[in-house]
Amino acid sequence: MSLKEIFIEPLIPSGLIYLLFLLGGIAVILQYVWIRKRLTRPKAMTLSLLRLFTLVLLTSFLFNPFSLEKKESKVLPSLAILLDTSPSMGLPGRGGKGNRLDEAKALLLEGQNPLLRSLSEKFDVSLYSIGQSLMPLREDELAPLKAGKKKGDPTDAVRILNRKVSLAILLSDGNLKWDERASAGFPMLSIPLGDSKEYKDILVKAVKSPNLAFRGREIGIDVTIKSYGYRGMTLPVVLKDGDRIIAAKEIRIHESPLEIALTLPFASERVGQHNLSLSVPVQTGENITFNNQIDLSIKVARDKIRVLMVSGTPSLNYRFMRMALKNDPSIDLLSFVILRTPSDVLNVPIQEQSLIPFPVDTLFSKELNHFDLLIFDNLPSHLYISPNYYGAIREFVREGGGLAMIGGPHLMDGGRFLRTPLEEVLPVKLIGREGYRRESPQTVRLSRVGKTHPITQLSLDEKENENLWRDMPALDGINLLEPKAFKNVLLEGADGASRPILFADHYGKGRTLILGTDFSWKWYMGMVSRGKSHWAYLRFIERMVRWLTKDVSLNPVQIAFPETPGEAGQELEFRIKMKEENISSHLKGKTLLSIFNSEGAKVESHLKGSESSGEYLGSFIPKREGTYRIKVEFPNGVQEEFVTIGRPIEEREGAPDHERLKAISVSTGGNVLARGDDFLKEINTYGARGEKRFIEEKRSPLWNLPYILLTLLALLSTEWFLRRRWGLI
Amino acid sequence: MISRRHFLFFGLSFAAGLIFSNRQFSLAAPFPQFFFAQLKYKGGEWDPNPGFVEPIVEELERRTSVDGFKERRITTLSDPDLFYVPFLYMAGKYEFEPFTSQERELLRRFLTYGGFLFAEDTMGAKGFGFDRVFRTEMKQILPKSELKRLPPDHSVYRSFYLIDTLGGRQKVNHYLEGITIDQWTPVIYSQNDLSGAWAKDRFGKWINECAPGGEVQRSQAFKAGINIIVYSLTSDYKKDVIHHPFIKRRQNL
Repeated sequence: MSLKEIFIEPLIPSGLIYLLFLLGGIAVILQYVWIRKRLTRPKAMTLSLLRLFTLVLLTSFLFNPFSLEKKESKVLPSLAILLDTSPSMGLPGRGGKGNRLDEAKALLLEGQNPLLRSLSEKFDVSLYSIGQSLMPLREDELAPLKAGKKKGDPTDAVRILNRKVSLAILLSDGNLKWDERASAGFPMLSIPLGDSKEYKDILVKAVKSPNLAFRGREIGIDVTIKSYGYRGMTLPVVLKDGDRIIAAKEIRIHESPLEIALTLPFASERVGQHNLSLSVPVQTGENITFNNQIDLSIKVARDKIRVLMVSGTPSLNYRFMRMALKNDPSIDLLSFVILRTPSDVLNVPIQEQSLIPFPVDTLFSKELNHFDLLIFDNLPSHLYISPNYYGAIREFVREGGGLAMIGGPHLMDGGRFLRTPLEEVLPVKLIGREGYRRESPQTVRLSRVGKTHPITQLSLDEKENENLWRDMPALDGINLLEPKAFKNVLLEGADGASRPILFADHYGKGRTLILGTDFSWKWYMGMVSRGKSHWAYLRFIERMVRWLTKDVSLNPVQIAFPETPGEAGQELEFRIKMKEENISSHLKGKTLLSIFNSEGAKVESHLKGSESSGEYLGSFIPKREGTYRIKVEFPNGVQEEFVTIGRPIEEREGAPDHERLKAISVSTGGNVLARGDDFLKEINTYGARGEKRFIEEKRSPLWNLPYILLTLLALLSTEWFLRRRWGLI
Repeated sequence: MISRRHFLFFGLSFAAGLIFSNRQFSLAAPFPQFFFAQLKYKGGEWDPNPGFVEPIVEELERRTSVDGFKERRITTLSDPDLFYVPFLYMAGKYEFEPFTSQERELLRRFLTYGGFLFAEDTMGAKGFGFDRVFRTEMKQILPKSELKRLPPDHSVYRSFYLIDTLGGRQKVNHYLEGITIDQWTPVIYSQNDLSGAWAKDRFGKWINECAPGGEVQRSQAFKAGINIIVYSLTSDYKKDVIHHPFIKRRQNL
């Protein structure tokens, strides 16, 4: 032990120790003076010196002297090997032998000097897989390891391994997530897998389009196509609605890799959900083929409800209905009134006639699908419309159109609809003759179904609504009709035998209605004659048109999706909002949410929210890509919406991204280990930087050393002995 | 075989039925869409051409798809069924007693909310007699709207025929006048005595000569009558865009 190894750590402040020593010294001097009177000088001096030494020794204990012994030690640096198990690691690796994960396994486990074994000699190695999360691996788990379904995220690894390892090696193709803000406490070296030059693929990388379009108005769908390989080729990008090609553009691949942005037009005359697909034909040798197509859904809404009305004759019924339809700015009306029958005399030259030909063929064979609603108003149709067109009308309704027939003596065309396609469509039984009655004014009342049906629900208060209909002026003429099912009857006569008057039903995707009277205009003028408002008739016509055309304004709820519905595996949340006027009726019952995948199977969903505010938050996790049907059932009815979920981009993009890998490594202070490098040497260089040495310190207090204690004891014993001998005790 | 006794019984019964029937207005088959409701008012002469209905309705049915009723309904402004008439007709020669305020209010409401009135000054004296009182009444009933000449592109001139001149028993105006509210003209007024040109006696002969144009002028009166009736049932239907090219082409012929 040298003096350099001795340190002090005073138990009390040093000044106090010096003071105590000074006082002790004074006491020794005073003692010396006192014992000098009894002993000789040498004896007195001897005793005083013994006491002084004892004092020095005891006060020195207060300095707490100790010896410090230092010893330097070295430990093996800890090394984490991070193995990427992203989906793209299942794609062909370098040279096409096995996949990229196999390439990594071969590197670690195979060869004359397997890297894993070599590293284990110089490092404290721990193995991890980076997939859905950071998972520790045993060496025996390495061989059967397979690519996962989630993109790896080394950010997570950096966070967990920080301060636990001094170096990490990342084996990946670069298709990774990475948070640029992540800071690693250790350098990360990466070994790139796969070969970007060998990789061949064409993918629809991104599609951007609005969820909603208006009928007949063109919108642009922005598409990004990415290609690896296939230089010099010209490929079509095709937009399909179901199986029908609706737009296509060509792209020329002049370099590789190449990203091309283009816009495809979309416009549709069909209102409703359109399930579209964007695709590029699959080419020979592509590594991934499913990413050549992307699905999307666009809802086409009408900007205006297009109504085609054909009236058999000029009449008040026509005029008032026309006024009601023209009154509604959201309705685009095209009407034809049959002003003369084939038997009528027209004894004037053509330049004196205002009559126009009724374009039957154009309307019923070409233009019908451009309308949302077809109204036949007391039309003796056999005189003008060939029964051959009835099939087209049936198809029009089956595909979602609305058909309304307004009563009068010619409502059923003298029974000629029997055994025609219209028989199937109409909500009444056909008997092969016309049944029409006048001179027996009929007031009306709501049927059981009519009390809650959107068409006849002019007021949300049930009682008020019933009274409103009961007070409507009587009808002077009604058609004698029988419903196919009583659930189709909304209004019936309130006088005498209750004849059904208003019928509504569904057919295919469309809706049908029969108003069995040509006197509904009396509901307008009758109210005016009583000094009341005519709003009930206008509202009835408006609701009739909107129900027949499935107009969203009648939907009591709105379902709102986020702008980007997300990807498979991610939770999708959406809002369900009741319209204010429906909240009170909605409170009377329960709202149910059901979600079905593209195969029609129900998937787990959640509905939460405040019932009082009429707003809910629905959610579900789409496990796979595809179009999902969201069905909301509420006391007043059912509403459905569709949403298309795509595959996660990590599954779609499979090209090795070694640049990204480099960026990740560099940001941590590491580097990319190029093929052909001596991996071990490179790793050792980084490992040496992180080599850890530590100094072990041994601290031994000096006051409890035996010889110090013995010295003290010897001093005190000698002093006591001499005092006794010299007669001081 | 029917016996003479039965023949006489049924024959006399049928005749008695015809003679003593009160000929109540009936909407029985064949389901007319249209009938005249003629306004009976106080003072003046409310029915200057009693025989006009059958000839014009006959022509209406012969030429158009409208089913008309060949009997008119006589109505007053206090009639509770006033608001259900498709075509209110008012004619006169002389000054009549002004309407009461209640009658004016009813007529205002009728015309404002969809009713239709065709009025005729059968004398054709501008500023006198029926014309003077009618204009005064209309000003009071619809003070915000003015009775004025209908422009040549008005739907009434093209609702069935393309008309560029107006016939009648007399040729006071070559145009119609009217009160237009928004796109609808609930009041149409003529001073050419159209009904005078339509009227026939019980033997089927014209009651009045048409001057100065003779039978051509009568023919024009029938065309105008049919156009006014069709307009009352179809409103501005002929203003729809689909009719424009056809009408323009024919006008250029």
